[in-house]
Amino acid sequence: MDTFLLKNINTPGSADISVYKKSGGYKSLKKALKMKPEDIIDEVKRAGLRGRGGAGFPTGMKWDFASRDKNFPKYLLCNADEGEPGTFKDRPILEKDPHLLIEGMAISAHALQAEQGYIYLRAEYPAAKKILEDAIDQAYEDGILGEGIMGSKTNFDLAVHRGAGAYICGEETALIESIEGKRGQPRLKPPFPVNVGAWGKPTIVNNVETLSNLPLIIEIGADAYSKIGNPDCPGPKLYSVSGFVNKPGVYELPMGTSLKDIIYDHCGGIKNGGNLKAVIPGGISTPILPPDKIDCQMDFVSLPKCGSMLGSGAVMVFDESVCLVKVAARAMYFFEHESCGKCTPCREGTGWLRNILERIENGLGRRGDVELILEVASNISGKTFCPLGDGAAGMVLSFIKHFSDEFDEHIENKKCSVN
Amino acid sequence: MSRKVRKEGYPSTRSELLGALHTKQYDEGWLSQDGLKAVSDDLNVPAAAVKGVATFYHMYHNEPMGRNVIQICTNVACMIMGAESLVDLLKKEYGLEPGGTTDDKRFTLVIMECIGACGTAPAMLVNDDFHENLDEKNIIEILNGYK
Amino acid sequence: MITVTINEKDIELEKPVTILEAARQGGITIPTLCYFEGLEKFGGCRLCLVEVEKLPKLQTACTVMVTDGMVVRTETDTIVKARRAMLEFLLINHPLDCPYCDKAGECDLQDLVALYGPDSGRFAEGKRQHPESFDDPIIVRNMERCVNCKRCVRMCEGVQGDSAITVTGRGSHSFIEPFSGGRYDCEYCGNCLTVCPVGAIMSRLHRHSYRPWFVEKEIESLCGFCGVGCSMVLQMRENTILRTIPRMDLGINKGLLCAKGRFGYDLVESSKRLTAPLVRKNGKLVPVSWDEALGTVAEKLGDIKGMNGGGLIAGIASARCTNEANYVFQRFFRETLLSNNIDSIARSFYIPAQNYLEGIFGQGVTANLISGIGNSDAVVIAGGDPTKINPVLGLQIRAAARKGARVISLSDSEGLKRFGSSQLISSAGSENILYGAVVRMLMEGSDVPGKNKALDEALQKLDAPKDKDVESRTGVSVADIGKAVDELKSAKNVSIVLGPDVLLRDGMRGLFLMASMIYLTDARVYLLSERPNEQGLADVGCLPDTLAGGRPVELSSFREKYEQEMGYAVPEKAGMGLFEMVEAMEKGSIKAAYVMGDNPVFNMPSSHRVRNAFKALEFLVVQDAFMTETAQMADVVLPAAIWSEKDGTFVNLERRIQRLHKAKNSVGGLEDWKIIVKIAGLMGSKMSFGSAKEIWEEICKASHLYGSLSYEDLESDKALWPYKGEPLRSGEAAVEVPEDHGTAPEVVVYADRSLFHSGSFSRYSAALNSIQSEPYAMMHSDLAGRIGVKDGDKVRITSGNSSLELVSMINDEIRDGSLRVPNVFEGVCVMSLIDYEPDDSSAINVQRTSGLKVEKA
Repeated sequence: MDTFLLKNINTPGSADISVYKKSGGYKSLKKALKMKPEDIIDEVKRAGLRGRGGAGFPTGMKWDFASRDKNFPKYLLCNADEGEPGTFKDRPILEKDPHLLIEGMAISAHALQAEQGYIYLRAEYPAAKKILEDAIDQAYEDGILGEGIMGSKTNFDLAVHRGAGAYICGEETALIESIEGKRGQPRLKPPFPVNVGAWGKPTIVNNVETLSNLPLIIEIGADAYSKIGNPDCPGPKLYSVSGFVNKPGVYELPMGTSLKDIIYDHCGGIKNGGNLKAVIPGGISTPILPPDKIDCQMDFVSLPKCGSMLGSGAVMVFDESVCLVKVAARAMYFFEHESCGKCTPCREGTGWLRNILERIENGLGRRGDVELILEVASNISGKTFCPLGDGAAGMVLSFIKHFSDEFDEHIENKKCSVN
Repeated sequence: MSRKVRKEGYPSTRSELLGALHTKQYDEGWLSQDGLKAVSDDLNVPAAAVKGVATFYHMYHNEPMGRNVIQICTNVACMIMGAESLVDLLKKEYGLEPGGTTDDKRFTLVIMECIGACGTAPAMLVNDDFHENLDEKNIIEILNGYK
Repeated sequence: MITVTINEKDIELEKPVTILEAARQGGITIPTLCYFEGLEKFGGCRLCLVEVEKLPKLQTACTVMVTDGMVVRTETDTIVKARRAMLEFLLINHPLDCPYCDKAGECDLQDLVALYGPDSGRFAEGKRQHPESFDDPIIVRNMERCVNCKRCVRMCEGVQGDSAITVTGRGSHSFIEPFSGGRYDCEYCGNCLTVCPVGAIMSRLHRHSYRPWFVEKEIESLCGFCGVGCSMVLQMRENTILRTIPRMDLGINKGLLCAKGRFGYDLVESSKRLTAPLVRKNGKLVPVSWDEALGTVAEKLGDIKGMNGGGLIAGIASARCTNEANYVFQRFFRETLLSNNIDSIARSFYIPAQNYLEGIFGQGVTANLISGIGNSDAVVIAGGDPTKINPVLGLQIRAAARKGARVISLSDSEGLKRFGSSQLISSAGSENILYGAVVRMLMEGSDVPGKNKALDEALQKLDAPKDKDVESRTGVSVADIGKAVDELKSAKNVSIVLGPDVLLRDGMRGLFLMASMIYLTDARVYLLSERPNEQGLADVGCLPDTLAGGRPVELSSFREKYEQEMGYAVPEKAGMGLFEMVEAMEKGSIKAAYVMGDNPVFNMPSSHRVRNAFKALEFLVVQDAFMTETAQMADVVLPAAIWSEKDGTFVNLERRIQRLHKAKNSVGGLEDWKIIVKIAGLMGSKMSFGSAKEIWEEICKASHLYGSLSYEDLESDKALWPYKGEPLRSGEAAVEVPEDHGTAPEVVVYADRSLFHSGSFSRYSAALNSIQSEPYAMMHSDLAGRIGVKDGDKVRITSGNSSLELVSMINDEIRDGSLRVPNVFEGVCVMSLIDYEPDDSSAINVQRTSGLKVEKA
């Protein structure tokens, strides 16, 4: 298919506004500014766009909630805190095509009547910060941001807010806390951010990729857009592929491309001719899948049927040289490290699980440890304040579901059975 | 450095806190008690709250750092591509332990969670510079460029 | 009406509440840990998870609101298992050192685990290690025991407004810490101790000294430090106070206390308590029997009364003493000594200020509920920092600010720094210029309100300062004042809080301008009150010109009726006020004085002069719990009980009458009224009381104000002004515009009212001294710069013949040109630097110090 989200990234000087404009950039914004806000929201609804951050919430519906709230000002926040391990899909847009995001945000701001936007950028992307800020400067100079953008009556100011290293800030209420200058711990819902968000005002938080879809929807219209990929959750999708494939990287493919196609067609198959052992389809928080599931389509609807989730579309491919106990232990270390500490099961349970997994990997596992993991993980699952704990529990539960033999072998042999 | 938000800025000065801490850290290398107190005074945010924020986010340094901060990712994608052996190498080469600083204050080693370079793993940030597709050879060459 | 079904039981609710509250209303227990009533909702511990029909996930009962028709289950297998799991998680990093932990016995976690927890834990790895912190004199932190419920932080930030502690780190390495990581730099309200459910934040004062089950009885009483009148529970074992704690459902403080209230009770047990009566023999005070001491007093006072009637004797009553003690004191003076010379140090502010305002606006104008401040949309502060003088009242101002009220400070108010919308701090000594500017701007563009003729006329005559004078003399920009005034004009519900410094320099002028502000903004007024019973003192007649219930002594009709009702005669002529007494002592027209529960030679301005006046007395009796500066000069010293050793009543600054319950026997002192009744008896009085309650009944007879409130009535809301609905006198006084006393000197000394001390009284509390034990001279860095001192350098302050050497403490939150010195510590009497002279229109003291010098020592 034609790429849209990544079409500019290999053009020299792609981050420059003139280059962006040469390829038709900001035409959608111009068009959108002539549309009524409610018509844009309607278009987004009809397009069937779902949030690309991980949860897959219908964007049009979120916007609809926000636009029904008559409390002003409203804030549009772009979630550029992609911290889900395995995920690097937003980075090309942030570093190579910032104007695509700015255009998407400006269209959204017009639709939502939000006059102030912030890009919440993870601190791990220092280069992107400068690129985005330069692009924002250019957009201001060009009248694309500020008062009366592109000669319309719509005002939109945009700035970059730099995070400081906390995975949890990818959760939208934690992100809002963080932008308010606080510790990034999730807030109670309700009230939902669309009603009471940043600084107590209606706030819409959307992912970079989600917002970057807006120019396309406006350009080709909801009908054409909804025909891209799986009609149940259409549109182009960025898949970031890492691990043991020949050509790792970010791929823009129609939503619903199968795992198999991604790994074997687009990424050139398993590295060094090895054998596929397992694949994590949507970032470390999504359940791992064994090779017999690779026919599954990579979208919000199909993956749950295969026992996993699309998450951020971060495909991590493991060949037979990889010890999955070790992967699970490292992944659990990550969750423990990133647990914000607010709720009991996540704060205490992730560390406990990491302890058990590490001792198994180190040959100190005990009989009953697998059952203990299952129990501890299910005691976390569904009981945490936010989805972080669920991700941690779901991860380890899926490893044991599909690869319990490997755990048993570790415990039985009192050493790592892979390496 | 974090520039003031355009036009109206943030609706509350408290929102400037993350940026102010970045600036302070950039200027002084780390966030000392005095540094935190100064930020607290500037923004009229309670000192304890400033500390709460400064210790919550992993990329704020609450201890003195070396001149160059090696932030190496060891999360899954980097781990399976050999990040651990790079960490071992840094220990052998520079005597660097995770969280440690060389005696000559040239390097501090920080273990990172995913830095979004999984397709080009293993990867690290040295100060604000991305370095990807690392191996045991090129990492030393790269680090030679940091004095 | 909302109906919710919990565990098959229908519960009807008037308004939506959380599932937890609904369950409690229905008598169903849902265990909680991080939940604490009054704190911001949190939902972190996950112990209160419940099943809600139609919702796929378990829900936290403490955060989810009920909806009509909701079906909830709290005891299913899933819930029981989840609860057990949460407790198992909580114990992973909890040290289980219960046998050693002071909290055991009143620990929420211990109780929950006993009820709902697993039999044993399965966590086999090492627990998190984090050394216990003993860096603070008052608070011990044991972060290994912490369950991260954040109740302390939510209390500190959201209720106390101190924001002194935070969670540092994250995940399982989250710890509660003050900024320093060690010692606290905080208000020491100790409210974090109240809310900590485990042994993580504990008081060091009684560490390992007792176990909760050692408490034999709990006595509900009042704090004896300030005029808010917080309720507290004294936990007793035999005759020892183990601890004082607030209770959530008790009194006006609803679970909150300040540093003094929570920790200062220990002065009762001070080794410096007087334990035996002392009589001066051969120039030295020596211990004698009670009989000898009381006999000496009766004989000496009798002799002096015999010389020329009771007019030669002065009585200084105390706002630290109960109504009952003060009533008996004034009766003794009037009936037995035939003297109306009765006054108190409340003359410095509370009494004249109230008199003046009641004269204009009517009786009861200051009787406003403290909780009302929290509902104001604008609060004006003048004459002192409410968060220090009356800390729990100060919390209401912070609460109002949090709800969006404009807080306009016209005086140094450090404690409102983060809460004030306008800080209009005039240069030292020019306060009345600032007040005048505010009043003038309030009047601009509108007519006088027309509700009070006298005040309307006075306002029209007001020679308010011009803009340029305002800026040059106060240093405050007229634009800033204008902005604050605009906020005030648009407010609908204004509270004005006045502190003692309103009078300090500006005397009646300051008070007149404040009255004008109250009038123009239609505000409720609050008088800050440094001692627990300033109001009661006045109510029961410890005034030279007024009998109990506010009856003027010189009006024969009132006096005669009083005599008839009470069965004892009172002298016709009004007596001397506090400052007149001093002059009379100097002239020899007062020859004896009886001081009950106060320390005038330390607490009155011009303290050298006062000391000399007291020296000139032929006979001085001091009744006190400690050997104060005044007691050291006495001929007889009578040891008295302290509030936790007394029954009786206090009247707080809202004019709420509250009961004090005796918790323990005094170590050596007697209750004040008992001493006086005995002396009166020796001098032929028939006054006889068997208990404080009997005195109260007589007070009610004497004071129509109190009607016939019984001690039992006082436990209910009948103790609120105007009590049983007695009609109020309206304001009728003529209003003069007091003159402007001109420019201020370069440096002005103020008594610093510390959050941690309560005049010279609290210097005997080891706990409060551990927080603040040294005197200081607080000043702005500009003043410090001018005299060339750095923080911590010694400075010498000189005024006339008096001089003090103090360590400087630089604080840019206070106004330039002011020096703030606590009038607390032995040998450091800031009142020796402050002179007074009677104000034109009233017997109040006004600081007229000039030529005050401050220099590097």
